Amino acid sequence: MTLQEKMTALVEIAERTGAAHDAFRSDDAVYVVVHGNDIIGSHQVPGVRIEAQETDEGIDAAITVERGVILPKPVNLCFGHLGKEGRQVINSHVFIEDGAKAVFMAHCIFPNASLFLHAMEGTIEIGSGASFAYREVHVHSKEGRIEVRPVSKVRVGPGSLYQGDFTLIEGRVGNLNLDFDVEAWGEKSRVEVTSKVYGKYDDSCEVRDVVRLTGPGSSALIKARVVLSDESRGRFLGMIDGAASGARGHLDCTEIVQGNAQAEASPVVKASHPEAEVTHEAAIGRIADDKIAGLMAKGLSEDDAVDVIVSGLLR
Amino acid sequence: MSSALLEVEGISVVREGKKILSHLSLKAEAGQITGVLGRNGAGKSSLAYAVMGLDKYRPLEGAIRFGGREITDLPITERARLGLTLAWQHPARYEGISVHDYLRLSSREAAEKELAAALSLVLLDPKAYMDRMVDKTLSGGERKRIELASVYLMKPKLAILDEPDSGVDLLALGEIMHVFRLLAREGQGVLIITHREDVAAQCDRSYLMCTGAVVLEGSAEAVKRYFLSQCEPCQDVAAAGMEGCSE
Repeated sequence: MTLQEKMTALVEIAERTGAAHDAFRSDDAVYVVVHGNDIIGSHQVPGVRIEAQETDEGIDAAITVERGVILPKPVNLCFGHLGKEGRQVINSHVFIEDGAKAVFMAHCIFPNASLFLHAMEGTIEIGSGASFAYREVHVHSKEGRIEVRPVSKVRVGPGSLYQGDFTLIEGRVGNLNLDFDVEAWGEKSRVEVTSKVYGKYDDSCEVRDVVRLTGPGSSALIKARVVLSDESRGRFLGMIDGAASGARGHLDCTEIVQGNAQAEASPVVKASHPEAEVTHEAAIGRIADDKIAGLMAKGLSEDDAVDVIVSGLLR
Repeated sequence: MSSALLEVEGISVVREGKKILSHLSLKAEAGQITGVLGRNGAGKSSLAYAVMGLDKYRPLEGAIRFGGREITDLPITERARLGLTLAWQHPARYEGISVHDYLRLSSREAAEKELAAALSLVLLDPKAYMDRMVDKTLSGGERKRIELASVYLMKPKLAILDEPDSGVDLLALGEIMHVFRLLAREGQGVLIITHREDVAAQCDRSYLMCTGAVVLEGSAEAVKRYFLSQCEPCQDVAAAGMEGCSE
């Protein structure tokens, strides 16, 4: 397969799973496409700096959205591999300077992987009065077993917003170890972290979302939706630490188990400052009978009813 | 051979060792609104669940026929595909499913304007509601109306409406009843389950239930009169038993 063919294949999948049709084509698009450790496509516009280097197992990349730059379209990062086996290690450093606004979409695409390690280690530094949304979507093979280890450390400055969103769109999870660690150090900074995972077969999913609210008046919402079926195992560890005056946080975790799956949730709410307020709700259970019966009474089969409910939960 | 759209014949249902429906029989006709009136705990919702085919409400005895076909052992989906549906007393919440998509589940063929018209019929502004989620952000009354709109879009042969008035304010009730009339006028059957005699009075024919059994069948007005004179004053439904209510 030529590099161009690999690029075309990865982009097609990215477009099918959320990227705009011109996300990797138009003159004003910002993107990086990586296959294994080959950077096979990239484009940038004034106000955005991309510095990327190939390494033995992946790439090191630094992306900066400069002060005051507001990007009208998402920046698309496509990290993938079309082979069955291998490793890809992505080290990324994102800087969102003061007053900048950007949405990054990371498409992690491994449609044929049967034995693969995909590790992402990233840092995100958000200045003041900025807004940054990072949406990571994964496409895996239906049957293969991929090991996914996204680790992110995020720091959010004064008056800034960070939204992190992790979703598996297609295929099976394999072995997922998701680790988000966010510090909202700026006054009135805001964090929203959402993780959505559907484990099947003997998948193993561990989701760790931690937010420390050290900025006065900072706030956070952690939302986790984990659906487990067959023999899969899932563990959610969520923590919000209200460590500043006026800090507010809420943690909301729902895990649905089907078949012989097993789920565990450990929501931790901590108020290490007396004027902080952190709340949580967590539920583990099967899909309620009345939800399924409600859709069956509209003519859906039981399996279709469950699919509708699960896809709604993960939407 | 009976021409009734729905025929429930002598069904009994036991749950957790307790008989909750006892030798119950009733009929519902196409093009008519049939009422089932009774106080809370009379077994009205259990009747609805048994007719719809919920697993835990399978009759121990008796038969349920729909359109002349016995459906006693059919699962919910197959009953729905035959044209039977139920609007639940407390419609479930569905996180991540918009009102639009929820309505679409009821009718894949309906035009977009028909979905909007169904919402308008239950007095919800399509522009304000279509993109909202059918989750905890909607009140019980709003979900109830959306459920009624969904049933209206299904165009079922028979719609069972379990306490359609609960959570709906009095002013809107007349409008909601108008929807049921529309369904009946279009030739569909409507089975309304209610504890309110004023709702039952608007039906073409009514049944009165107490402690899991039908104790009276007749014109809506006659059933209302009986309910007001005999059931309302009754302080202890459980103690009354069927013998206490039947004449």
